[in-house]
Order: sequence, then C-alpha cells, then structure tokens
Amino acid sequence: MQKLGDFKLPQFFNYPPYFTLQPVRDTREKQIQLWKDLILDYCKTHHIFVIGLEDQDFPLFSNPAIERSLTYEAREAFLSALVAQGRAEWLDKSRRKCLVLWHRIQDWANIVLDFVKDNGLEDSVMTVEEIRTGIESRGTELHGIDRTVLMRALKMLEQKGKLAIFKGTTADDEGVKFSI
Amino acid sequence: MRRRPGIGGLQTAAAARDQYRQLGENVAKIRTDLMKEQLTTFRTQLEDFARKHKNDIRKNPAFRSQFHNMCTKVGVDPLASNKGFWAELLGIGDFYYELGVQIVDICLATRPHNGGLINLQELCSLLRQRRKSDREAVSEDDCLRAISKLKVLGNGYEVISIGKRKLVRSVPTELNKDHNEILELAQAKGFVTVVEVERRLSWTTGRAIDAFDTLLDEGLAMIDDGHKDGVRRYWFPCVSSISTPVGADG
Repeated sequence: MQKLGDFKLPQFFNYPPYFTLQPVRDTREKQIQLWKDLILDYCKTHHIFVIGLEDQDFPLFSNPAIERSLTYEAREAFLSALVAQGRAEWLDKSRRKCLVLWHRIQDWANIVLDFVKDNGLEDSVMTVEEIRTGIESRGTELHGIDRTVLMRALKMLEQKGKLAIFKGTTADDEGVKFSI
Repeated sequence: MRRRPGIGGLQTAAAARDQYRQLGENVAKIRTDLMKEQLTTFRTQLEDFARKHKNDIRKNPAFRSQFHNMCTKVGVDPLASNKGFWAELLGIGDFYYELGVQIVDICLATRPHNGGLINLQELCSLLRQRRKSDREAVSEDDCLRAISKLKVLGNGYEVISIGKRKLVRSVPTELNKDHNEILELAQAKGFVTVVEVERRLSWTTGRAIDAFDTLLDEGLAMIDDGHKDGVRRYWFPCVSSISTPVGADG
C-alpha cells in the first residue's frame, strides 16, 4: 500500500479514473465521497487547516506513481462538497483557499473547555497565542491550531458566557478570561 | 445341437432360439443386478470414505473438489439439501451456505466501485482475506459452487466468461455482445480507448461510443482524461483488481 510518510493511502488513490471528475451521477457521488473522506483524514492526521487550490505541492492533488493529477475543477468539486457538508469553509470569494474543519468549530470549543479544565485554568487569563502554542497545549490537539479556527471556537464559547475575549497590550494579540 | 431338416428341425431351432433368448435375458438381468449392487457398494464406500476423510474434505480445497467430482459420477449431490445424510455427516451444506452469504456481502460492498461485476479471482482473494481466521481454505471451485447455489435463490448471481477470465455478476444488468467484446479487450491493460475499439473490432465510432455510454451508465466503466497524451481512457474496475497496483503507463 502506498504511503505518504506514515499515512496509508486508500486503494482508490492508485486507480487513474478517480482523478477525473466522473460524468455519471451515481459514480461521481461515490467518487466525491471517497475524496471527501480522504481529505478530512489526511488533514486531521497532519494538522492541516488550510488548503490552497492552486497549491501544486499538496500531496493529495496528484499521484506521481500513476502520473495523474486532479484538475482544478475536480479539486473545487471535492472541497465544495466538504463545504456543503459543513466540514470546510471558503476563505475567499474566488474559492482559492479552503479552511478544512476536520473538527467542527463546536468540537474545537469542547476541546478548549477540556483543556481549561484539565489545566485548572477556570478563572485565569491567557493570551490566544499561549492557548495555541504554550506549554500546556503541547501534546494536545490545540497545539499549533490555526488561529482563525481557534478564534471562531473562542467566540462560540464567548457567546455561551464561558469566557471573554479582550484586546491585549500588543496590537496583534488578544487575551481570554475564562469563567467556566 | 445338431440341426435336423424338417418340422422337427424347425421346432428344435425355435426351442434353441428361445433358450438363447432366455439366457440373454438372464445375462442382462444379472448384469443389471450386478451393476445395481456395484453402485450400492460404491455409494456405501463413498460414504465410508467421506466419514473417514471428513477433515480433509473440509480443509483441503483440491481434495474437496475431487470428492465432488466423485460424487457427481455416482449421482450423489452433497449439496442437494441441508438435511439428510450428507449434510449431517459433512456439514458441507453449512459451509457453502456461509460462503454464499459472504460472497453476497463482498459483491454488495464492492458494487460502488465495480458496478456489480467482479473478477472471480478478486472475489476469491477478498473471500480468503475475510476468512483468514477460519480453518477451512477456499478455492475458486468452492466459490463457483456457492454461487451456483445462490442462483437457485434467484438472486441474480451469475458467472460469465469474458476472454480468459470469469466474472461474477451480482446485478441484473444484461450485457450484450458488444459490451462483452469491450470487456474482453479491456482485460489486457484494464482500460480501452475508442480508437482501439474501432481498430481492433472494426466498429464505427458511433457504435463504440454507444457501448461505452451504456457501460458508464451502468457503473461498470469510469473515464480517465488524465493521461498526458490527452486521449480518454475507459477503465473497467471489474477486470482489474483494486488491490494490484496499476502501472504508470496506464
């Protein structure tokens, strides 16, 4: 079985027709399902949050072993399907960049709550950067999380009254006061 | 017996003919009786054999196949019913029933990929992977027998021969001669092109495209526009195995 690093690629990835968007509806739906699952799986394993459609280096877009690459149209079709399912969002109107939610925002919010409880931070204050990259985050899924995704999760929690977001001392950092 | 002329001679000849005839009938009867007896003996011996070699029959596919052949010659069908001597002795009815269920399962699971047509070889391979923990090995012969029992249930399962391969069909799709010819061509590389079909089968473009369109609609074919030569290829999952890697020149 082919691997990308430690990641095991599914069998269909080695079958050339899967790299062409299929015209027959039933076949296309099955094809899209397979690619959606692969993209989510891969992004989750590698902690990838943003996919650029024009990115030639994104490993899933081509398979050199069979000399096939996904057309732009195909890439857009698969990612659009993920967006329709609520597992991705377009970051721009021209649909060139896509935010992949291999955890939904709701799931990230719960992960933040668990993180706070596990570290006894119920009444503390932390900067967003600290949540993302601080010592406590090491070994958790929060470590290295995309900032946009984290802010969305925090805002969701803010609306539920679990915390308050405020501007920090530096222009580009924000802080969070937990009140869980 | 000396022939004597005259009526007496004729009567003697008639009597002689009668006696010969009776002898002939007796011989025939003896032969039939002998055969019946031999057959019964043979059946008994077959049963003894089955009892003694129960384990081998269960475990060894080649042995099992030979055993089936012997049974056929004697007019015994161990799979005729799930009850009765043979089924109880060998539990073979259960074996094939179970195989049938697994085959149906595999066909359903692979249908999204191959459209309901699967290579017999691949089916057996997937079957063996599934049954890894079982002590009973499975051969293509076993698969064919199990599938023939499925047919009796009217599930639409059938084995068709295309070129050198056998394909198991699990959907009611009827393939016509044109479709079969394309599938046969596709066995070489797993795909064909329109030009190839036109050239090798001497078809018009229209006839080729018609056949391809049907095969695409039935989910038996997929298009591939990704080759650098820009020529569209039609791939047939049922003739290649998803577990064997496809070469780069495909």
